[in-house]
Amino acid sequence: KKLQEHPYTVFTVDYFKSPTGLQSAVNALYSGMRFNYGPEGAVGITCDGTDEWTYADQPRTGAGGTADYLTLGNYTLDASNGAILTPWNRNYSNINLANAVVDFAPGVNMDSTLRNTIVAQARFLRGLYYLLLVEQFGAVPLDLGSGDLHFNSKPYQGFNRLPTADLLVKDYQAMINDFTYATQYLPDQRPANAFVLSKAAAYLMLARTYIFRGYSAAKQSSDFQNAYNAAMEVINNQAKYGTSLLQNFADVNKQGNEYNPEILYSVERIPGDNNDNEVGNPSSIGGGKGVDASNDFTPDYTSVKSPTASSSTAPCATRTQLYGRPIRRFCPTAWLYNVAFADKYNDSRYDGSFRTVWLATQAGGGFNVGDTAFVLAYTNAMADSMNAIPKPYRVIAPREFYIIGGTTTQNIYPSLSKYEDSKKQQANDQGGRPFPVAKLSEMYLLAAEAAFQIGNINQAVTLLNVIRERAAYRPGLSASDLATRVAAMDINASQVTLDFILDERTRELCGESLRWPDLAMRGKLIERVKLYNPDGAAKIQPFHSLRPIPQSQLNATADNNRAQYQNPGY
Amino acid sequence: QSTQQRKVVKGVIVNEKNEPVAGASVSVQGNNIGTTTNEAGAFSLSVPEKCVLVISYVGYQKKYVSINANTTNVSVQLQTANNDLDQVIVVGYGTQRKRDVTGSVSSVNEQALRDVPVANMQQALQGKAAGLEIQTVGTTPGSGAQIRIRGTRSISGSNEPLLVLDGIPYDGNLNDINPDDVASVEILKDASATAIYGSRGANGVLLVTTKRGKAGATRVSYSGYYGIGTVSNKYPVFNAAEYQAMRNISPWNQGYMPLELASIAAGKSTDWQNLMYSNSHKTDQNITVSGGTSNGSTFSLGGGYYNETSLLPGQDFTRYSVRATIDSKIGNKIKIGLNTMNTVGVTNGSQFVNPMFPILALSPLMPAYDSAGNIIKAPNGNNDDNQTQYSPLLLKHNNNNWVDRVRRLRTFNSLYAEIEILKGLKYRANIGLNYTQEEDDQFQASDLPTNPSYFRAQKGNTAYVNNAEAWGYTVENLLIYDKAIKKHRFNFTGLYSIQEYHTHNTSVSKDSITDNFSQFYALGLSNPTPAPVVGGGEQSWALISYMGRLNYNYDNKYMLTLTGRIDGSSRLANGHKWHQYPAVSAGWNLNNEQFFRNSKFFSNNFNSLKLRAGFGQTSNQSINPYSSLGLVSNNNGLAAPGNVIRYNYGPTVVTGYNVSALPNPNLDWEYTKTVNVGVDFSILKNRISGSIEYYHQHTDKILYSVVLPPTSGVSGNYTTNVGSMENKGMEFTVSTVNIQNHHGFSWSTDLNLFFNKNKLLSLSSGIQQDIANQLFVGYSMTAIYDYKKLGIWQKNEAAQAAKYGSVPGQIKLEDHSGPGGKPDGVIDPNNDRYVIGNGDAKLQGGMTNRFAYKNFDLSVVAYARFGGLLVSQIHQPVASYLTVMDGKRNGIKVDYWTPNNPTNWFPEPSTSISPISTAWTTLGYYNASFVQIRSINLGYTVGESLLKKVYAQSIRLYFTVDNVAFLFSPYKNQTGINPIGTNVGNAGVGNPGNLRSGSNGMVTISASTPLPRNFIVGANISF
Repeated sequence: KKLQEHPYTVFTVDYFKSPTGLQSAVNALYSGMRFNYGPEGAVGITCDGTDEWTYADQPRTGAGGTADYLTLGNYTLDASNGAILTPWNRNYSNINLANAVVDFAPGVNMDSTLRNTIVAQARFLRGLYYLLLVEQFGAVPLDLGSGDLHFNSKPYQGFNRLPTADLLVKDYQAMINDFTYATQYLPDQRPANAFVLSKAAAYLMLARTYIFRGYSAAKQSSDFQNAYNAAMEVINNQAKYGTSLLQNFADVNKQGNEYNPEILYSVERIPGDNNDNEVGNPSSIGGGKGVDASNDFTPDYTSVKSPTASSSTAPCATRTQLYGRPIRRFCPTAWLYNVAFADKYNDSRYDGSFRTVWLATQAGGGFNVGDTAFVLAYTNAMADSMNAIPKPYRVIAPREFYIIGGTTTQNIYPSLSKYEDSKKQQANDQGGRPFPVAKLSEMYLLAAEAAFQIGNINQAVTLLNVIRERAAYRPGLSASDLATRVAAMDINASQVTLDFILDERTRELCGESLRWPDLAMRGKLIERVKLYNPDGAAKIQPFHSLRPIPQSQLNATADNNRAQYQNPGY
Repeated sequence: QSTQQRKVVKGVIVNEKNEPVAGASVSVQGNNIGTTTNEAGAFSLSVPEKCVLVISYVGYQKKYVSINANTTNVSVQLQTANNDLDQVIVVGYGTQRKRDVTGSVSSVNEQALRDVPVANMQQALQGKAAGLEIQTVGTTPGSGAQIRIRGTRSISGSNEPLLVLDGIPYDGNLNDINPDDVASVEILKDASATAIYGSRGANGVLLVTTKRGKAGATRVSYSGYYGIGTVSNKYPVFNAAEYQAMRNISPWNQGYMPLELASIAAGKSTDWQNLMYSNSHKTDQNITVSGGTSNGSTFSLGGGYYNETSLLPGQDFTRYSVRATIDSKIGNKIKIGLNTMNTVGVTNGSQFVNPMFPILALSPLMPAYDSAGNIIKAPNGNNDDNQTQYSPLLLKHNNNNWVDRVRRLRTFNSLYAEIEILKGLKYRANIGLNYTQEEDDQFQASDLPTNPSYFRAQKGNTAYVNNAEAWGYTVENLLIYDKAIKKHRFNFTGLYSIQEYHTHNTSVSKDSITDNFSQFYALGLSNPTPAPVVGGGEQSWALISYMGRLNYNYDNKYMLTLTGRIDGSSRLANGHKWHQYPAVSAGWNLNNEQFFRNSKFFSNNFNSLKLRAGFGQTSNQSINPYSSLGLVSNNNGLAAPGNVIRYNYGPTVVTGYNVSALPNPNLDWEYTKTVNVGVDFSILKNRISGSIEYYHQHTDKILYSVVLPPTSGVSGNYTTNVGSMENKGMEFTVSTVNIQNHHGFSWSTDLNLFFNKNKLLSLSSGIQQDIANQLFVGYSMTAIYDYKKLGIWQKNEAAQAAKYGSVPGQIKLEDHSGPGGKPDGVIDPNNDRYVIGNGDAKLQGGMTNRFAYKNFDLSVVAYARFGGLLVSQIHQPVASYLTVMDGKRNGIKVDYWTPNNPTNWFPEPSTSISPISTAWTTLGYYNASFVQIRSINLGYTVGESLLKKVYAQSIRLYFTVDNVAFLFSPYKNQTGINPIGTNVGNAGVGNPGNLRSGSNGMVTISASTPLPRNFIVGANISF
């Protein structure tokens, strides 16, 4: 009897066959999404090497790799790149946990509505975990060792990826099935101050997945129509689903306004609460669950000299929580601030997405804390005319913005402000704000794209103009001024192309961990990187629209022919 | 001769501790005159006027004393013999004469343990016994070692040998034992010696025997030393000019800091190592009182104090120990005894105090002090680091800025009673009881303008407390029967034992303590947010055993040992809990055979010759409790305190659970079968003695914690039985008396040499390579699987380099193979990585030379390893480690390529050192061979006449230098760094991915507190 083990601190898998166990599993599934939204690896694989973003001057010191963000950005990455491990190493264990919930729930004695909601949440999240993998790697296993979409408890060392073409078809169908189930069994609305999953978020994911499939080798003729139907269900019934567009674009991602009705689903965190955000070492970079995005896009504002480039005063030399840690991992392409946001006047979304004004963070050299320290001008001409007037601060022209290989040594460029977090405990900490995953504005853009693809151009124009007209609004504008701007923002049917829709997605969703899959899944990655991203243009090749299967996965696969599992080209 | 005049010589014979030796034989060389000493060690003998007395006693070297016309009184001190076959050594559950031993046992006696004054037992044992491999895994005070007996057998189970202290299994580590309390250590190596420990014997057994009292007058002994440590070897870093040269061609584009420009202009530089290192010191003080009555009741009481500081501030280790042994006889039939050992160890600076990175990485162009002489708070050569990295000089004064303390109380007690039931039949009960309490305290003060906090630059304070207790007991019932019938001798030992062990810990970490003043003592005095993070754990295991052993000896010629043991362990799955361990071994003393005596060759040359052979099975249950059960946990595997799966729905915080380990209902032990053959010999009048052994171990059902591919959906490891492996090797031990003349000069040598070859024979998955788990069939467990670096692409190879996407100055890798089995002009991870070497030494050993002249003695201890690869993580430039040469910081000095410096060692400092993203690992492999003079010791024993004046029985004074020099080390020649391990497994900032982690990992080198060279003076005195 002494030889029987009676552990006090160990739960077994049977725990998931109880109501509390099922809820704990779902909590873990929500929590696992933190890996995919905010951490540096997730930001890197969705932003770096696109038309929007390229690597900045410190791509080399990624945790665990020498140059992960350099090689992602200039398309010299190999299978040992560390950033691609973020979804690969994190998502399957959550998929398997979702499988456990789906497998075990029918046998758990509990209220059936509650059970259906739990299963719907698990299936939504399983679908999203899969989507995040398929976007990057193409076909990925549905069979983890115990059959397709079933909980695996075997020490399985195989890798069920072949043949990839057949598997991709099954992957898409599995995701569509999961999101469809979620649109049926999730609650209509989310709570006002929490992002518990609801139907609207499921419809968005369903629409996105149908559109992606519509461009893929697994496409079906009804995909765009289905995407349109899913998106319009929410657009047409906003009250039912508890969502609406905000009046002011800049408010959507504003700190303190995270639970606004435009956002359907965010991966949640509590600002400044590192322990509950699962951030043990908030000043480390990457590898965890914190929002590295709040620092990754930050230029080196601390070294900018003012009032002139030759002055010895750096009025922002002290870092602040709001401005963040200037990690300078990613910087915008010139196309982003010069072309996509060419109209920074009528379109409020440039100012609503980027920080262009910094206030002094330390006294000295004629500056007091809080004085304007330097400003990034919309255009070179604007900078020149403003600099003609003597002033105590400096105006920096776009031609002075840092670009790779350029001669400017100051690391300044428009800084993505969507993840700024003034409630961090220290300036160097990772951010802790909820990270938006699904917004009503994207629903309009997906609906417009689906309408365009099924030939309903006028409907596409209507939907796009809803978003564009909203972007004209700025607080304090007179009614007539606003009307003029709205008119300037309106487009007509002749302007609608897939490229225009992609441009519009940039303006609306820039930096929201969507861009790389947006381009890759629509077959636009190679073309647009070659056009708009000089750092990636030289080496990008068609095979780069899929990432390599991580070498560590192949190393752990019990098969002497490991190369057959790799995506072509790597 | 008969005409020679005779006279009476009186004398006293004492042993190495100046205790009288009773029953020693005293004879006249070349004559048949002789006598033996009495209880007081005294003798009186009528001898010729001039002659040589030969004094001999079992277990001691023979001593020759010249008698001349004036000699009437002699005083002789005997030295223990390492090689005497009549020496009694400790074996499992008993003792045996060395002559009768049939298994493979190495013995390290007290004198060998005393050669070097040491902090702990592992240092005392290193290089002292064949087959015992001890590699240091840290250079900070109180750090441990990796101990292997005859190599590695288990991948995931423990490979640490079982430690048995005075007969009771000891669950602490060697660091908990005061070396001064130890009388001898026996190392049981083959299955016939260890099978008696069954499921715990697979990794060999270290039997530690502590000192006990001896009959006679009460004695007081003191031993102590004091030493000063200096830096034996600074890390080579770029000096100011070299740093500038590197930085100017590096990718760094932010220029120099104003203070750096000032230093350049003034030609100043800063040597951060010189500023930070200061001499360490260590001291050891022990007092023992012992004695006993003539009926055999004895006692020994002792206390000790040990303290060691480091070359760096904030690191030290202190041990207090109290010990008592009592052996008492009740009548003639009953013996009872008690041994209690109690130690308190306090280690400071082992948890987070490690400032080596900034010491080596700070710019030599930055001044350390401002013009007023104050420490510059943030002296980094770049703005980024100044936000997070303060000057390590701040560590020189604590100012209530941090606490990093581990306090470990350990009490280990064993009680025995022995009853002689009949003549030859004894019953013995052993009860062991031990308890350990450990508290780990951490505190890091908040950063204040008036008192900068090195560990919390620009942050608030944080504290952590972990309390762990462990207790266990062992109950053993032994029946021992001795019987001799004419020339047959039997000894039977039977055992039934139960062992249980429990451990439990609770930890709390808390930020935002109200005031730095309260440190970690009152975590409640803090802001409610952030909430405290609480952790805890529990483990229990039990082991039930039955054992029987029969020793048979015929006429001292033939010996046979039969052992059987049955073990039941709680750790394994139901249905797999019980297993039996048989072992058999035999020995043959040829020197007792008639033909041996008749043979001129044998009898003239050999004093003894013994053949031994044994076979047996042992196993390894050293897997964690509950491994067979599977695990669902709320741990996310991330850094504490954020390591609990949490989520929030708005303001509502919840906890999540996920599968972290799969259940394994078939988990079984791993089994090792060992064949051992050996020869023990003693030749040339016992002046050369030694042994040669060969062994072969076959381990089946290796316990293995498999890393599954992520697509299995289980992120944790899976412990299971896979595959088989072998270890085979030879051991050679010899002790020689090179010179021993009647002028009193002697020179003797102990040498041991051994090698072990490890090979993985098969994996049950049937595959040849499991790369993720570092398993390669046909190769060693320490195989390194990687690209092979050929050098650096040179200017005249530009065209060839371009084919591989490289340019001159980048790392040149071998194009080993391709999809067609031939080099294909592409470097890819599936075809060009292979097993490029392993970490095993091809040959290793130790040598101790002892010289004695009159009252002086001198010993030199050397240790050597030959062959194998060394993994120098300090030379693997990943992330921001020390050879990354990105210009942002200084680092370890290496010879890097430039167009004008065509080296093949390091690539050119540039953003890309290779198009292969993992090529940086290849810069870390070096030849691991070295020969080290570990210590030189000079001793002086005070003579009889002076002793009497101070009423002392013996006084020995000594002077020692340790870590003397590396006579040979290709790694040190190239890099300037000592080839001594600092860690096990990955300890760089990036994981190369091809090093096994955990306690079975390879020993690696990273930046660590430098090894001190200690100069020690000490004394051993007894009254």
